[in-house]
Amino acid sequence: MTTASALRSLEATTGIEPIVAWRTWALTGHRDGSNLLLRPVAGRSRPWRPMQIAEAACKHTRMHASPSLECTCGLHGTHGLDLLRRTRCPAVLGRVALWGRVIEHDHGYRAQFAYPQLVTLICQFCFWQWGSHAPSPDIVGWFTRDALVPLCWAHLELAQRYGMEPRRLLSADEVGLSLRETYGVDQLVHW
Amino acid sequence: MDIGRPQRIIEIEPVSLPLPSPDLPSYEPAPEPAPAPNPDPSPVEPVDP
Repeated sequence: MTTASALRSLEATTGIEPIVAWRTWALTGHRDGSNLLLRPVAGRSRPWRPMQIAEAACKHTRMHASPSLECTCGLHGTHGLDLLRRTRCPAVLGRVALWGRVIEHDHGYRAQFAYPQLVTLICQFCFWQWGSHAPSPDIVGWFTRDALVPLCWAHLELAQRYGMEPRRLLSADEVGLSLRETYGVDQLVHW
Repeated sequence: MDIGRPQRIIEIEPVSLPLPSPDLPSYEPAPEPAPAPNPDPSPVEPVDP
Protein backbone atom coordinates (compact mmCIF):
# COMPACT_ATOMS: atom_id res chain seq x y z
CA MET A 1 0.00 0.00 0.00
CA THR A 2 1.40 3.40 -0.94
CA THR A 3 1.61 6.24 1.53
CA ALA A 4 -1.14 8.10 -0.26
CA SER A 5 -3.49 5.13 -0.27
CA ALA A 6 -2.64 4.45 3.39
CA LEU A 7 -3.64 8.01 4.21
CA ARG A 8 -6.86 7.71 2.27
CA SER A 9 -7.81 4.53 4.14
CA LEU A 10 -7.79 6.27 7.53
CA GLU A 11 -10.74 5.76 9.80
CA ALA A 12 -13.35 8.51 9.40
CA THR A 13 -15.86 9.40 12.09
CA THR A 14 -18.35 12.16 12.79
CA GLY A 15 -19.17 14.18 15.89
CA ILE A 16 -21.26 17.05 17.21
CA GLU A 17 -18.95 18.29 20.00
CA PRO A 18 -15.88 20.39 19.15
CA ILE A 19 -12.54 18.91 20.16
CA VAL A 20 -10.68 20.96 22.77
CA ALA A 21 -6.90 20.96 22.47
CA TRP A 22 -3.85 22.90 23.66
CA ARG A 23 -2.33 25.69 21.63
CA THR A 24 0.05 28.65 21.85
CA TRP A 25 -0.14 31.97 20.02
CA ALA A 26 2.02 35.01 19.47
CA LEU A 27 0.47 38.34 20.46
CA THR A 28 0.52 41.77 18.85
CA GLY A 29 -1.01 45.08 19.89
CA HIS A 30 -0.51 48.82 19.99
CA ARG A 31 1.87 50.57 22.41
CA ASP A 32 -1.00 51.26 24.80
CA GLY A 33 -2.05 47.59 24.83
CA SER A 34 -5.04 48.11 22.56
CA ASN A 35 -5.88 46.28 19.31
CA LEU A 36 -4.75 42.92 20.68
CA LEU A 37 -4.49 40.10 18.16
CA LEU A 38 -3.63 36.46 18.60
CA ARG A 39 -1.38 35.19 15.84
CA PRO A 40 0.12 31.82 14.89
CA VAL A 41 3.60 31.42 16.36
CA ALA A 42 5.02 30.10 13.11
CA GLY A 43 5.23 31.85 9.77
CA ARG A 44 3.20 34.82 8.68
CA SER A 45 -0.20 33.26 8.73
CA ARG A 46 -3.34 35.29 9.26
CA PRO A 47 -4.22 36.48 12.78
CA TRP A 48 -7.12 35.03 14.71
CA ARG A 49 -9.66 37.85 14.80
CA PRO A 50 -11.70 38.45 17.97
CA MET A 51 -15.25 37.10 17.86
CA GLN A 52 -14.62 35.52 14.45
CA ILE A 53 -14.15 31.88 13.64
CA ALA A 54 -10.60 31.13 12.50
CA GLU A 55 -10.67 29.16 9.26
CA ALA A 56 -7.76 27.15 7.91
CA ALA A 57 -6.21 28.00 4.56
CA CYS A 58 -3.18 26.37 3.00
CA LYS A 59 -0.33 28.84 2.53
CA HIS A 60 1.54 26.54 0.19
CA THR A 61 1.12 26.86 -3.53
CA ARG A 62 -1.01 23.76 -3.79
CA MET A 63 -4.66 24.55 -4.01
CA HIS A 64 -6.69 22.32 -1.78
CA ALA A 65 -9.19 22.41 1.01
CA SER A 66 -7.51 22.72 4.41
CA PRO A 67 -6.65 20.60 6.31
CA SER A 68 -5.51 18.13 3.70
CA LEU A 69 -4.22 14.65 4.50
CA GLU A 70 -1.27 15.08 2.20
CA CYS A 71 -0.17 18.44 3.59
CA THR A 72 0.70 19.98 6.97
CA CYS A 73 -1.83 22.80 6.72
CA GLY A 74 -4.71 23.47 9.10
CA LEU A 75 -5.23 25.04 12.50
CA HIS A 76 -3.04 23.10 14.91
CA GLY A 77 -3.77 21.95 18.45
CA THR A 78 -1.97 19.40 20.59
CA HIS A 79 -3.00 16.65 22.99
CA GLY A 80 -0.58 17.81 25.68
CA LEU A 81 1.49 20.78 26.80
CA ASP A 82 5.00 19.44 26.44
CA LEU A 83 5.07 19.62 22.67
CA LEU A 84 4.17 23.32 22.86
CA ARG A 85 7.25 24.08 24.96
CA ARG A 86 9.24 23.75 21.73
CA THR A 87 7.22 26.37 19.85
CA ARG A 88 8.97 29.57 18.88
CA CYS A 89 8.29 32.64 21.05
CA PRO A 90 4.85 31.78 22.46
CA ALA A 91 3.10 34.64 24.29
CA VAL A 92 -0.27 33.07 25.04
CA LEU A 93 -1.16 29.53 26.08
CA GLY A 94 -4.70 28.27 25.86
CA ARG A 95 -7.35 25.73 25.15
CA VAL A 96 -8.83 25.90 21.68
CA ALA A 97 -12.03 24.43 20.24
CA LEU A 98 -11.57 22.68 16.90
CA TRP A 99 -14.29 21.59 14.51
CA GLY A 100 -15.26 21.10 10.89
CA ARG A 101 -12.87 18.70 9.21
CA VAL A 102 -10.38 17.62 11.87
CA ILE A 103 -7.43 15.31 11.25
CA GLU A 104 -6.21 13.68 14.43
CA HIS A 105 -2.49 12.88 14.59
CA ASP A 106 -0.38 10.95 17.09
CA HIS A 107 0.18 14.08 19.20
CA GLY A 108 -2.46 16.58 18.12
CA TYR A 109 -4.88 17.82 15.51
CA ARG A 110 -5.19 19.90 12.38
CA ALA A 111 -8.60 21.48 11.99
CA GLN A 112 -10.70 23.47 9.55
CA PHE A 113 -12.28 25.83 12.10
CA ALA A 114 -11.20 27.00 15.55
CA TYR A 115 -11.77 29.53 18.31
CA PRO A 116 -9.89 30.00 21.62
CA GLN A 117 -11.75 29.01 24.79
CA LEU A 118 -9.36 29.73 27.68
CA VAL A 119 -6.18 31.79 27.53
CA THR A 120 -3.33 32.92 29.75
CA LEU A 121 -0.19 34.97 29.15
CA ILE A 122 3.08 33.10 29.53
CA CYS A 123 6.69 34.13 29.91
CA GLN A 124 8.19 32.16 27.03
CA PHE A 125 11.43 31.48 28.89
CA CYS A 126 9.65 30.18 32.01
CA PHE A 127 7.39 28.06 29.81
CA TRP A 128 10.38 26.52 28.01
CA GLN A 129 12.05 25.76 31.32
CA TRP A 130 9.20 24.71 33.55
CA GLY A 131 6.17 24.01 31.37
CA SER A 132 3.03 23.81 33.46
CA HIS A 133 4.97 24.91 36.56
CA ALA A 134 5.91 28.23 35.02
CA PRO A 135 4.98 31.28 37.10
CA SER A 136 2.76 34.01 35.65
CA PRO A 137 4.50 36.83 33.78
CA ASP A 138 4.78 40.23 35.49
CA ILE A 139 4.97 42.58 32.54
CA VAL A 140 4.37 42.65 28.79
CA GLY A 141 7.07 44.22 26.65
CA TRP A 142 6.07 46.15 23.56
CA PHE A 143 8.59 45.65 20.75
CA THR A 144 8.95 46.62 17.10
CA ARG A 145 6.20 45.50 14.72
CA ASP A 146 3.77 45.69 17.64
CA ALA A 147 5.02 42.39 19.09
CA LEU A 148 3.90 41.92 22.69
CA VAL A 149 6.12 39.67 24.80
CA PRO A 150 5.05 38.69 28.33
CA LEU A 151 7.99 38.27 30.68
CA CYS A 152 8.65 37.70 34.36
CA TRP A 153 10.92 40.22 36.10
CA ALA A 154 13.91 37.87 36.07
CA HIS A 155 13.66 37.16 32.35
CA LEU A 156 13.02 40.81 31.52
CA GLU A 157 16.33 41.61 33.20
CA LEU A 158 18.03 38.80 31.30
CA ALA A 159 16.49 39.92 28.00
CA GLN A 160 17.65 43.50 28.57
CA ARG A 161 21.15 42.29 29.36
CA TYR A 162 21.27 40.63 25.94
CA GLY A 163 19.94 43.65 24.05
CA MET A 164 16.29 42.66 23.89
CA GLU A 165 15.00 46.01 25.14
CA PRO A 166 11.23 46.58 25.10
CA ARG A 167 10.19 50.00 23.83
CA ARG A 168 7.49 50.09 26.46
CA LEU A 169 6.38 48.03 29.44
CA LEU A 170 2.74 47.20 30.12
CA SER A 171 1.11 45.47 33.06
CA ALA A 172 0.64 41.75 32.40
CA ASP A 173 -2.55 41.73 34.46
CA GLU A 174 -4.06 44.53 32.38
CA VAL A 175 -3.04 43.04 29.03
CA GLY A 176 -4.33 39.62 30.13
CA LEU A 177 -7.68 41.06 31.15
CA SER A 178 -7.94 43.07 27.95
CA LEU A 179 -7.10 39.97 25.89
CA ARG A 180 -9.85 37.95 27.58
CA GLU A 181 -12.36 40.74 27.10
CA THR A 182 -11.37 41.23 23.49
CA TYR A 183 -11.89 37.55 22.64
CA GLY A 184 -14.74 36.96 25.09
CA VAL A 185 -12.97 34.05 26.77
CA ASP A 186 -12.01 33.07 30.30
CA GLN A 187 -8.67 32.81 32.06
CA LEU A 188 -6.88 29.48 31.81
CA VAL A 189 -6.30 28.78 35.49
CA HIS A 190 -5.24 25.16 35.93
CA TRP A 191 -2.68 23.86 33.47
CA MET B 1 6.02 21.39 15.37
CA ASP B 2 5.75 17.68 14.65
CA ILE B 3 2.42 16.25 15.76
CA GLY B 4 3.13 12.81 14.33
CA ARG B 5 1.28 10.79 11.76
CA PRO B 6 -2.40 11.17 10.93
CA GLN B 7 -4.58 8.63 12.68
CA ARG B 8 -8.17 9.44 11.78
CA ILE B 9 -10.43 12.02 10.21
CA ILE B 10 -13.29 13.49 12.20
CA GLU B 11 -16.06 15.55 10.64
CA ILE B 12 -17.50 17.70 13.44
CA GLU B 13 -20.66 19.71 12.99
CA PRO B 14 -21.25 21.25 16.42
CA VAL B 15 -24.82 21.77 17.56
CA SER B 16 -23.79 25.22 18.78
CA LEU B 17 -20.66 27.08 17.77
CA PRO B 18 -18.06 27.49 20.55
CA LEU B 19 -17.99 31.24 20.06
CA PRO B 20 -18.81 33.80 22.75
CA SER B 21 -22.10 35.53 22.29
CA PRO B 22 -21.38 39.20 21.72
CA ASP B 23 -22.32 41.23 24.73
CA LEU B 24 -23.96 43.95 22.74
CA PRO B 25 -26.54 46.34 24.05
CA SER B 26 -30.03 45.65 22.90
CA TYR B 27 -31.19 48.04 20.24
CA GLU B 28 -34.71 46.73 20.25
CA PRO B 29 -37.10 49.42 21.40
CA ALA B 30 -38.53 48.71 24.75
CA PRO B 31 -42.12 47.64 24.48
CA GLU B 32 -44.42 50.49 25.12
CA PRO B 33 -46.40 50.17 28.28
CA ALA B 34 -50.00 49.23 27.75
CA PRO B 35 -52.26 52.21 27.98
CA ALA B 36 -53.66 52.64 31.39
CA PRO B 37 -57.23 51.60 31.59
CA ASN B 38 -59.61 54.46 31.56
CA PRO B 39 -60.86 55.24 34.98
CA ASP B 40 -64.43 54.55 35.48
CA PRO B 41 -66.33 57.52 34.28
CA SER B 42 -67.56 59.38 37.18
CA PRO B 43 -71.21 58.95 37.52
CA VAL B 44 -73.04 61.72 35.87
CA GLU B 45 -75.33 63.33 38.19
CA PRO B 46 -78.71 63.76 36.78
CA VAL B 47 -79.33 67.30 35.85
CA ASP B 48 -82.69 68.65 36.55
CA PRO B 49 -84.18 70.06 33.45
